[in-house]
Amino acid sequence: MSNHEPPGHPSAVAVGTGAAPGRGAGPARAAARLLASETALTFRRPRHLAMLGVLAVVPVLIGVAVRLVAGDGDTGSIVAQVAGNGLVLTFTAFFVMLPLALPLAVSVVAGDAVAGEASQGTLRYLLTAPAGRGRLLALKYANVVLFCLASCTLVAVSALVAGLALFPAGPVTLLSGTTVPFAEALLRAGVAVLYASAGMAALGALALAFSTLTENPVGAISATVVLVVVSEVLAAIPQLSALRPFLLTSWWNAFDGVLRAPMDTGRMGTGLLVFAGYGVISGAFAWARFTSRDVTS
Amino acid sequence: MNTATRAGESIAAPPSLPDKNATVNASENTPENAIVTAGLTKRFRGGQVAVDDLNLTVPRGSVFGFLGPNGSGKTTTIRMLLGLVTPTSGACSVLGEPMPAGIARALPRVGALVEGPAFYPYLSGEANLRRFDAADPRSDPRTVTRRVGEALDRVGLGAAAGKRYRAYSLGMRHRLAIAATLLGPRELLILDEPTNGLDPQGTREVRALIKEVAADGTTVFVSSHLLSEVEQMCTHVGVMRTGRLVAQGPIAELSAGTAPVVRVETSDAAGAAAVLARLGLNGAAQAGTTQAGATQAGGVATAELGDALPERICAALVDEGVAVRGFAVVRPSLEDVYVRLTGEGFDVES
Amino acid sequence: MRNGARAVKWGVPIAAVAVVAGVAAAGPVIAAVQGDPSLPDRTARELVADATRKWQSGQLPPMSGTIVQTASLGLPTLPVAGDVTSPIALLAGSHQAKVWYGGPAKVRLMVPGEMSETDLIVNGDQVWWWNSAANTATRVKGAPPDGKPEATPYASAITPQQAAEEALRAAGGDTEITVGKDATVAGRAAYEVVLTPKDAGSLIKDVRVALDGETLLPLRVQVYAKGTAEPAFEVGFDSVTFSPPAPENFAFTPPLGAKVEESTVPSFAHGPHGKDAIENAAPRVVGDGWDRVVVASVPERLTQDMAATADKAESWRGSNGVTSLTDGLLKSATPVRGEWGSGRLIRTKLVSVLLTDDGRLVAGAVTPEVLYAAAAQK
Repeated sequence: MSNHEPPGHPSAVAVGTGAAPGRGAGPARAAARLLASETALTFRRPRHLAMLGVLAVVPVLIGVAVRLVAGDGDTGSIVAQVAGNGLVLTFTAFFVMLPLALPLAVSVVAGDAVAGEASQGTLRYLLTAPAGRGRLLALKYANVVLFCLASCTLVAVSALVAGLALFPAGPVTLLSGTTVPFAEALLRAGVAVLYASAGMAALGALALAFSTLTENPVGAISATVVLVVVSEVLAAIPQLSALRPFLLTSWWNAFDGVLRAPMDTGRMGTGLLVFAGYGVISGAFAWARFTSRDVTS
Repeated sequence: MNTATRAGESIAAPPSLPDKNATVNASENTPENAIVTAGLTKRFRGGQVAVDDLNLTVPRGSVFGFLGPNGSGKTTTIRMLLGLVTPTSGACSVLGEPMPAGIARALPRVGALVEGPAFYPYLSGEANLRRFDAADPRSDPRTVTRRVGEALDRVGLGAAAGKRYRAYSLGMRHRLAIAATLLGPRELLILDEPTNGLDPQGTREVRALIKEVAADGTTVFVSSHLLSEVEQMCTHVGVMRTGRLVAQGPIAELSAGTAPVVRVETSDAAGAAAVLARLGLNGAAQAGTTQAGATQAGGVATAELGDALPERICAALVDEGVAVRGFAVVRPSLEDVYVRLTGEGFDVES
Repeated sequence: MRNGARAVKWGVPIAAVAVVAGVAAAGPVIAAVQGDPSLPDRTARELVADATRKWQSGQLPPMSGTIVQTASLGLPTLPVAGDVTSPIALLAGSHQAKVWYGGPAKVRLMVPGEMSETDLIVNGDQVWWWNSAANTATRVKGAPPDGKPEATPYASAITPQQAAEEALRAAGGDTEITVGKDATVAGRAAYEVVLTPKDAGSLIKDVRVALDGETLLPLRVQVYAKGTAEPAFEVGFDSVTFSPPAPENFAFTPPLGAKVEESTVPSFAHGPHGKDAIENAAPRVVGDGWDRVVVASVPERLTQDMAATADKAESWRGSNGVTSLTDGLLKSATPVRGEWGSGRLIRTKLVSVLLTDDGRLVAGAVTPEVLYAAAAQK
């Protein structure tokens, strides 16, 4: 274990309790272990569980509301579509929740990732463990990505269950007027989940970068949320329409490309590139900041 | 006497290394030393110098007391040793590894407690330890249950292992933090104020634990602003004052500065001083007392006792015809030395 | 040394920004590196003649592509609750559409909205107009045999093809036609035909039509207003592929549950906004060439709004795109009077609109003087 072990200091065995450090464990398994620990921490935290609960309830509420409105006869299209097919509720849920509800949840988790540990003081113990700064940041981001995937899947599944419970199922009419079998629509919903998760993961990278700048998690979280809201306001101003393609928020709703025939892969592909761009820049900033900063909390 | 002289020097002026900005001097960075720093300096962004040109040597197997008033730079030094804070200049090495470059190799062998306990309030004590164990890429997941259990038992938290950290008392929190430092086989424990805020009972327990760990051969580097604490458990000591190391060495040498002093009350102070000097008591020994050799002060002559026997001195004085009114061997406390090194009222110093 | 290492570290995010910016700007950069394309020289007359012959013969190659339409007319707009299916919304900002062209009898034009879509599908003798937001499929009867999208006024504003035909039609004898520098549009080398109005009364500096060097298909039309460097109106391909589109694109069956209607010309009345104010006007064209102006009767709602501009709360409540747009226009209108009467004038970079107090709307890409002249002839 130590090359410098001086003779007459049998200390290595002395203290702790004689576990040989896992030489055979390998860096990948050790990383998987820390990631599992991160994930357990995220999903065991009462605050996050409450948030996920809200995310799961919103699609149900939308479904119930549509059910109530749908009885009134001639109604708007989305309502009619959802009322006609339960699976459409999944897409409606994303349409409603992608602008704010999901970003809010992701900001809370990702903005807290580093700043929360710093404010709690646990960051210094993780680093002296030693978790390794770059390694810890990478695993924290992996955990954020998992959370994005989990929350988007949760919304989709909750909407699907509520939709199938409240409305009939069957072939789904796409936005283009084409009708596809239920199984294909389910597949398209899966693609929408992945796309939405990618969009949220880009926001998560941004929030993580903010998180490395401060020891106050609320600051990082609110900075991210403010950025989302400001982007959405900017995107709504016609004079600033030139800005729109560069805003992260403009690309989230491109998930509706899965509802077109043929699937609008062009726009979704551009969206993924934008997400990757945001992810790379935020990640690089977070890395530079986190690996060079003094941890004084 | 020779010993006293050397000790005095080493206390007064810590060994300074010739090349301050280079890496840790090769002769110091031997396996014999657990921690070596060379010209270690930290200047924070506001321009405030927290640690100034620190040359610290902590021998392996020692229990090193890192003494200094609050705000004297102890915690910043510890943070630099652990790679949490980047030094402005200078270098340090821990267990032979340069820091912060060698974090991954050095820190798995180091247990650290920095600025009090910090854990996840909504996790149990056991889950908290597992969490920090998972962060160490070198720890073995197969033995984690046993190691965590043993660490908890060792600090007497076995019964409270499943309780949420939120519900722990202050003493239990401290003990959990110490348990975290004992999760693996450690060659070095770095404990920053491990008894801060504990009641006397808790303090005693922590002290006993440190002694126990040290008895196993582990190097312990413990910072404190309380001399009494250090005095009771340390073999070596370093004293900080406003970011500078003002003394370091084996505690016996620091105590040497507190060599007993012969105090003679007499009407003929000059005569008494001469006698004391002739006996070899008032030589060049500078360390322990403020007076250089024997002086006359209002009919009082003093000198270091050294190896001499008090009864011989007394007899010699009488033989020489010095009228002795009072004769005493005074032993200044270690605290007197500490206060002299760190200044009065150290607790309010910046 | 240590500071150096830290500087190197911060170089990483800076490099990341540079790389991402580089990728984002890759198109223009590559174009710049390649330089302007150079096609065999052809005279303006030749190009226009060849192009019109090709279009009329219906021998356009099968293709599909994405069209981007951008308008910066300098309208004093307020945030428009952007619904791209409203033609008014096309007057501000940037909009996208996709086109699939398999032949004269196989055309699909798709305008995506957020969670909605509008399609015009021509398949043989069937012409369908699908609006997903209204869940309405309209079967267009009496469609022209060649089934070109010009059957809808909506489409005419949106494809470069139609815009180009419109521009060439407008260009009479009072137009100077020249060939500009070759351009690259949607990655293809294109001729640029520049139409410059000779009329002093026109607000248009020139109209530039980019024709694909190979197929002579119009790839882009730009309208420049006088005194501006950026086009006031632009419609062109963002990407284009010359290969036959999949046949599914042209197959349309109204989905179950959708309202199916029959109509001679698809109407916007089915849009979520209901009847548009503009539609109440029966327009009449006065003049010819570049100085053409449209004269229409002012929709009643506008007159009311003019009468009670103070009652802003009212108009805000009906905050659909059209209302807020017209509100913005009305606020910027300046009162004018002359021999023709009195009214309010709205000026933009490209278009002038005169609302007379006797309830007429006169509009055109012309100076106000031309509008006054048109207003004078009752």
